[in-house]
Amino acid sequence: MRKKILIAKYLFLVAVILVFIFPIYFMFVTSLSTKAEIEIGALIPHKLYLKNWSSILRGYWGLAIRNSLIISVLCIVFTLVVSFPAAYVFSRHKFMADKHLFFWLLTNRMAPPVVFVIGFLIMFRAYGLWDTIPGVVLAYSLFNIPIAIWLLDSFMKDIPKELDNAAFLDGYSLWGYFRRIFIPLNAPGIATTSFFVWIFSWTEMFIASVITSVGAKPITVQLLITMGRVGYGVEYGLAASAGVITIIPGLVLVYWAKKYIAKGFTLGRM
Amino acid sequence: MQKSLIIPAALLVLIVALLPTMAVVNYSFQTPYGEPNEFVGFDNYRKILHDSRWWDAFKRNLIFSIIVILIEIPLGLGLALLLYKKGKINGVISTVIVLPVLLPWVTVGLMWRLMCRSAGPITTFFNFFNFDYNIFLSSTHAFWTIVLMDVWHWTSIVFIVLLAGLVGMRRAPILAAKTEGASRWRIFRYIQLPALKFPLIFLILIRFMDSFKIYDEVNILTAGGPGLSTEFLTMYVKRLALDQWILGPGAAASLFYLFTVLVVCISLMLVLTKGEGLI
Repeated sequence: MRKKILIAKYLFLVAVILVFIFPIYFMFVTSLSTKAEIEIGALIPHKLYLKNWSSILRGYWGLAIRNSLIISVLCIVFTLVVSFPAAYVFSRHKFMADKHLFFWLLTNRMAPPVVFVIGFLIMFRAYGLWDTIPGVVLAYSLFNIPIAIWLLDSFMKDIPKELDNAAFLDGYSLWGYFRRIFIPLNAPGIATTSFFVWIFSWTEMFIASVITSVGAKPITVQLLITMGRVGYGVEYGLAASAGVITIIPGLVLVYWAKKYIAKGFTLGRM
Repeated sequence: MQKSLIIPAALLVLIVALLPTMAVVNYSFQTPYGEPNEFVGFDNYRKILHDSRWWDAFKRNLIFSIIVILIEIPLGLGLALLLYKKGKINGVISTVIVLPVLLPWVTVGLMWRLMCRSAGPITTFFNFFNFDYNIFLSSTHAFWTIVLMDVWHWTSIVFIVLLAGLVGMRRAPILAAKTEGASRWRIFRYIQLPALKFPLIFLILIRFMDSFKIYDEVNILTAGGPGLSTEFLTMYVKRLALDQWILGPGAAASLFYLFTVLVVCISLMLVLTKGEGLI
């Protein structure tokens, strides 16, 4: 009886895994298929067809991949530089408004981006930030900075305040203390925060689709455009290889990130 | 002195959040197309309230959110309970289940589009059972495919957060209950479930917020079709304000949207925590 339950459990889990892996597998297969194979929806490619892949790394696709990378990296750097000192203050001083700040942060997460995006478009057009990489980074920082502050704060709270005082008594300046002691101690927090900023910036599509057109267009937007061209047949092969590129970072980091995802998605509350 | 370190972040967020919102509020009270700008009072808001397309999208989105929450929370909880004990196999399986959280939403839409097109494996599967499945013709098929896609995408977050809760739980009460001969169900009901109260509330809130602003995946899978049958709220506002450039009513709609989300989230939070708040 017990054995039967165990077998049923593992059969169920195998089914779960198949369900979770199959869509990813099928996209991968499509990216390696010829047009003819794609038209019949082949589940296994006959031989490796690499043309989709070679064309995805050049031209406007290549540019989009480059833009995505630059945007993500700049977002991480910019967010960390601005949020780290702020998080330090939050973790070391008591604020009357702590509760309200948390709530405000939550409202930031609640708010549908479409509300801000209309304003971004009008504002960025007026100030020459439309379709520029700094514009995208600035727009993303609205969502990145609050999350970064909260995550960093939850890590910094574990470092005792006495350490600060001891360092200041020994004659460290605030900057010296940050550079020599505090930043190295916070390496896990910084890594986790960077990871979450990167997830948001790398996967975001909606805001970017409104505030960019050519010069700063990320790969996610390019993907949407390709899939939207219904008129002359969607190039599924190209789109699939682009899709595979967008998931590579996730595939590489998932094992490491597993521990931190719960913390990140609950804004450091867990 | 130290406290001034907060200023850059605060200023930046304030500017990036406040200026666009003010621009939107401003436009919502003006003539629809911007030029010439005239104050029209609440006309734009009235227009939205009388737009059946808005209400269709609104109802559809609300029903969608309720459905996915009702499916994803129990499913994620079940998977977490199956897999929270330490072990190599469990670790590998949970890594696989977590993966969808890290994928771009557009790419998730792409995967499902690849599977649901006329030559795709899902269509082939249904055709094999003589079931005429076509998300581009049937609005019911399209809607439930989107539900399925969302479950595939976001059960993972329910799973991983609850898994973290279960793993981090103190073992002593459970062991004590076991030696007293408590059944698994009673251990779950009286020890594990109460300890998961906070994560569960958080998950319901997060899943509501995110499913209520679903856009990317739907856009790539059905583009709101067939007809307007899978047009969700963000898509409605985006089309009105940014594609057709009818800014006045579009801005008004987006503020309605924001207001609804805030009201629902705050009341959900108050009801679920019985007025205690989340901290």
